[in-house]
Amino acid sequence: MKYALLIYEDEAVYGPDKAGPRIQEVVGKHMDFAQGLGPKRLGGAGLKGTTSATTVRTSAGRKTVHDGPFAEAKEQLGGFYLIEASDLDEAIAIAKKVPILQDGAIEIRPVLGP
Amino acid sequence: MNGQALERVFREASRRIIAALAAQFRDLGLSEDAFAEACLRALRTWPERGVPDDPTAWLYRVAYRIALDALRARRRSRENVHKASELIDANPTPEEQMLDDSRVIPDERLRLILICCHPAVAPDARAALTLRLVCGLTVTEIAHAFLLEEPTLAQRLVRAKHKIAESGIPFDLPSKEHWPVRLEAVLSTLEVAYSKAHEDAAGAGRHTGFAAEILHLSKVMTELLPDAGEAYALAAVVRYAEARRPARVDAEGVMIPLSLQDPRHWRRDFIADADRLLARAVDLAPESIRTLQAQLQAAWCARASLNGPAPWPHVLELYDRLLALRDDPIVRLNRIVALAEVVGADTALVQLHALEASKLAEFIPYQAVRADLLARSGRIDEARAAYAAVLALKPAPAEQRWLSRQLSQLGGRGDRPLPADLRPDR
Repeated sequence: MKYALLIYEDEAVYGPDKAGPRIQEVVGKHMDFAQGLGPKRLGGAGLKGTTSATTVRTSAGRKTVHDGPFAEAKEQLGGFYLIEASDLDEAIAIAKKVPILQDGAIEIRPVLGP
Repeated sequence: MNGQALERVFREASRRIIAALAAQFRDLGLSEDAFAEACLRALRTWPERGVPDDPTAWLYRVAYRIALDALRARRRSRENVHKASELIDANPTPEEQMLDDSRVIPDERLRLILICCHPAVAPDARAALTLRLVCGLTVTEIAHAFLLEEPTLAQRLVRAKHKIAESGIPFDLPSKEHWPVRLEAVLSTLEVAYSKAHEDAAGAGRHTGFAAEILHLSKVMTELLPDAGEAYALAAVVRYAEARRPARVDAEGVMIPLSLQDPRHWRRDFIADADRLLARAVDLAPESIRTLQAQLQAAWCARASLNGPAPWPHVLELYDRLLALRDDPIVRLNRIVALAEVVGADTALVQLHALEASKLAEFIPYQAVRADLLARSGRIDEARAAYAAVLALKPAPAEQRWLSRQLSQLGGRGDRPLPADLRPDR
């Protein structure tokens, strides 16, 4: 099965615009993690901070463009992986290895379709 | 075979068949539906052609083919191939009917219970799902056990099954490192299931059949996790309780409270087995809730005859320790029963009224203890009303007969103290 692992952390940890010294640290860890995943990693990316986010909202058929992320929260979507795992247990085991510098959460979502 | 007998056959069969189908087809909903359809076909064909020698094997064969058919149909519609539906004779061949069900149906209950108790399943749905799929209880029965509205419970079950199907929860036995996490969920599930099995003292109720199953599953857990003290404790509790089953009702089908049961009728083999399991639990998990619960059972089962004193002071002491670990109304209620024996009914009644009555109003043991304590305190009119209230809650038949007898004796010989443990032997 294919799963998306959505990484939620407080981006303030990484400094303004994710340019602080800790971003190097976590990027290094992600590179090691991705290498360890090998062919089970189907895709993924780290995202720039929510200060760079733009949201297009559809409401009653009308599209409006907004500055900022779609929802304000304590932890923000900071990146994701698309992985291949045999079942939820393997996906959970992989999610437990995703680097998180301080507190955070990995949401595991099965991907629609075959 | 009448309707009731058929229902019993279906229920017995459902426990193993749904588990076996689920392991095979990796789809809980499909397995449940296929089994239900097989039961419908049995209702149509058995009255005409007679009940097969091995009804369980028949039902498994039919359900298996129905599930296979449904899967094929599903695949065809997905591939958009318009073929006339294959007509498969879902009735088993005579050879198949001769097969013994233990050879036909693989025992997959443990696998199924682990799926139901996966950490990704909402905690409040795990026990309910296990009772439904592993033990074959109806939604109505489970809703009753959990004090929930039926639609609420049904929705919870649907959501849990959907989660299992959609999220890719594996149907294979988990590897060793996943075991400890699953243990707690499995043990509490077995506890709830057993308490349902134990509810009807007469043992004539629908739940008795799966008491044997809980005995088996609880032992299997200790074999799978030989270092888990709580698994031994639960296996011990179940055996102590089962040991007393032969002594729980008298010849007229009236419940006998624990303190009045003749220990000579208890099953010594179960007690010896439980003692061994408890010793392991005490070694591995001395101060755990389940070990204390097993020690409570052991205190009673150590009694050799009715001539010896009932172990009330020891029981009270154990409930005090249990209360320090788990302060809930049920532990408090049980402690009050022991308190009435050690200190007196008046003191116990004061503590009983300190419990949150609104939440316990429909809890049969609470009302039964209340009625007894009122009677023993000489408040006969209130006791009479309390007995009427508890009888209105429709207790199991043996308990109901006991309570009716207590009620009829009220005000007769007022000097005779009645035993406090009106709670049925649980």
